Amino acid sequence: MRFLITLLIFITLDSFAAGENKCGSLEKCDEYSATVHDTYSLQRGLGIYMNYCSSCHTLKMQRWNRLQRDLEIPETILLEDLIKTPDTKASDFITFGLPEVSPIGAPDLTLRTRVRGEDWIYTYLRTFYNDPNQPSGTNNLVYEGTSMPNVLAGLQGSQELVGKGKLKQTTQGTKTKEEFDESMRDLVNFLAYVAEPARVTREKNGFFVILFFIVFTAVMWLLYREYAKEIK
Amino acid sequence: MSDKKNSFMSWLDRRLPVTENLERHLTKHPVPKKVNFFYIFGALLMVVFMVQVVTGIWLMMFYTNTEEGAFASVEYIMRDVDYGWLMRYMHSTGASAFFLLMYFHMFRGLLYGSYQKPKELVWLFGCFLLFLLMAEGFLGYVLPWGQMSYWAANVILSLFGAIPFIGPDLQVWIQGDYVLSGITLSRFFALHVVVVPLLMIALVVFHIFALHEVGAGNPEGVDIEKHRDEKGMPLDGAPFHPYKTFSALPAIGIFFIVFFAIVFFAPTGGGYFIEKPNFEEADFLKTPEHIAPVWYYAPFYSILRAVTFGIPFLGITSKFLGFIIFAASIAILFVVPWLDRSNVQSIRYKGIYSKVAMVLFAASFVTLGYLGTKPVNEMRTLIAQICTVFYFAPFILMPIYTKYEKTKEVPDRL
Repeated sequence: MRFLITLLIFITLDSFAAGENKCGSLEKCDEYSATVHDTYSLQRGLGIYMNYCSSCHTLKMQRWNRLQRDLEIPETILLEDLIKTPDTKASDFITFGLPEVSPIGAPDLTLRTRVRGEDWIYTYLRTFYNDPNQPSGTNNLVYEGTSMPNVLAGLQGSQELVGKGKLKQTTQGTKTKEEFDESMRDLVNFLAYVAEPARVTREKNGFFVILFFIVFTAVMWLLYREYAKEIK
Repeated sequence: MSDKKNSFMSWLDRRLPVTENLERHLTKHPVPKKVNFFYIFGALLMVVFMVQVVTGIWLMMFYTNTEEGAFASVEYIMRDVDYGWLMRYMHSTGASAFFLLMYFHMFRGLLYGSYQKPKELVWLFGCFLLFLLMAEGFLGYVLPWGQMSYWAANVILSLFGAIPFIGPDLQVWIQGDYVLSGITLSRFFALHVVVVPLLMIALVVFHIFALHEVGAGNPEGVDIEKHRDEKGMPLDGAPFHPYKTFSALPAIGIFFIVFFAIVFFAPTGGGYFIEKPNFEEADFLKTPEHIAPVWYYAPFYSILRAVTFGIPFLGITSKFLGFIIFAASIAILFVVPWLDRSNVQSIRYKGIYSKVAMVLFAASFVTLGYLGTKPVNEMRTLIAQICTVFYFAPFILMPIYTKYEKTKEVPDRL
């Protein structure tokens, strides 16, 4: 028994020691779990995606009209301000005519939050810093040597690396730090929604299904008790 | 009304033994009155099996079994098919539930001697079912054609390639191609939806028929057949229906509460039920950083990895030896009925060695499972090696300790 306990302690220590939660050059990603129930946040996230991401990244599994329905976007705004191109239908995927595999290597973003995790994306977007050795002039703490340029610098301002895993803001963008973090949460929320549109209904209706089974169990328990009396 | 029914039933019974079988297997089939919660897992397994069959049929209606279409069709199910996401999550969560219940069900068997004479066949059919379930889970995991589907399948298929002499050819024969490809995918689809489920249904039938022949056990290991009332019903028994069927229903309800809590609120199980890399389409040019099996294979995968040495003078590589020991870890379960020499069934009346053995086995199984989901390092490999020994020791030493340990006397009645 004592041996087993020692063994268990070893394993517990071991899981902390190995540092598998590492987030690039950071010890740990900033924690964030997305919510898909704040429609305004999703709309703001869509806005950021359209302005800053969509020229390189597709959402090739997400249809425009699903987005319209779930994010409560008026049809005129969808057609005139979002889709714009006349030969794109509302039932098409969000690809902006970009080829299947982006020539510059920008990955499709549809399932990205599910592959990387919401924490990872949230931290990645906020940890770009100036690095003259990189072709794009910027580098990232989470994904070192990333070929993505810091397209968000206009909002965030620029950051410099001071010591391992530490960044210092050098110029101010159009948003304060808090506002920028808030915007990135909106963007991650939006990407989390795109990764799984059904999540909205899933999380809303799950409660009722579980409630049904609670009632079912209670009734069946009473029934069982009656039968159990007979056989004691 | 009742006459009409009776005449219909007698018409039917003359041609098909309906009443006889209903009585034999349900309304007059005696089961022990007092059992504990460990005895519910069999019923729950039937429920999960049905969930898997029904959701599987739905998924099959929309799934495309080609290299080009598989991944996209799963996302199509998740997005465009009404309630497709629910079917998919029920199926993926169902797979995990199936294994969890199976492990509990079998551990119950080990604890209370549900394999002892005359129940050897019940146990054997059950072991075959575990084997088929593992095959079924593996085949099904390849179908979404994500990165982990592809690379985990590569790891497992390469094991066949490690067999001396015939290995490489065997692997190509199984894959149907020189690499894991769309050809492999479509044959795995055929096996997953037709061959293995059919075999499983047949074995479930055998499992239950054999069980009804020898009678269900109980945690005391008491033979309820010894004392009967004047009608021939065992005094410690009660008819399966309605007493056991109605006692299973609240348990099924509780099971579904947990099941749907996962389906609706944590369908990926924190990356344990559906792994993160599997949301990326299979890419044969890009290996994921860390290839981990789904949690339910983790104990066996750990055993496989724990073997870091081969037998060079016999030409056995460490990989092949790992494969042998990995296969042995499942095969050893098949022979348990002939390893146990105890004169009592239940762990309650067995001696201290049996109790320690069961604790060691359970602890090493859980530990191996934990280690299997983590990347290797020296410390973990060492722990996995120790646990592998503890996994096998309770079985290998069973003929000795069960024969010589002191057992308690089993009561006459429940």
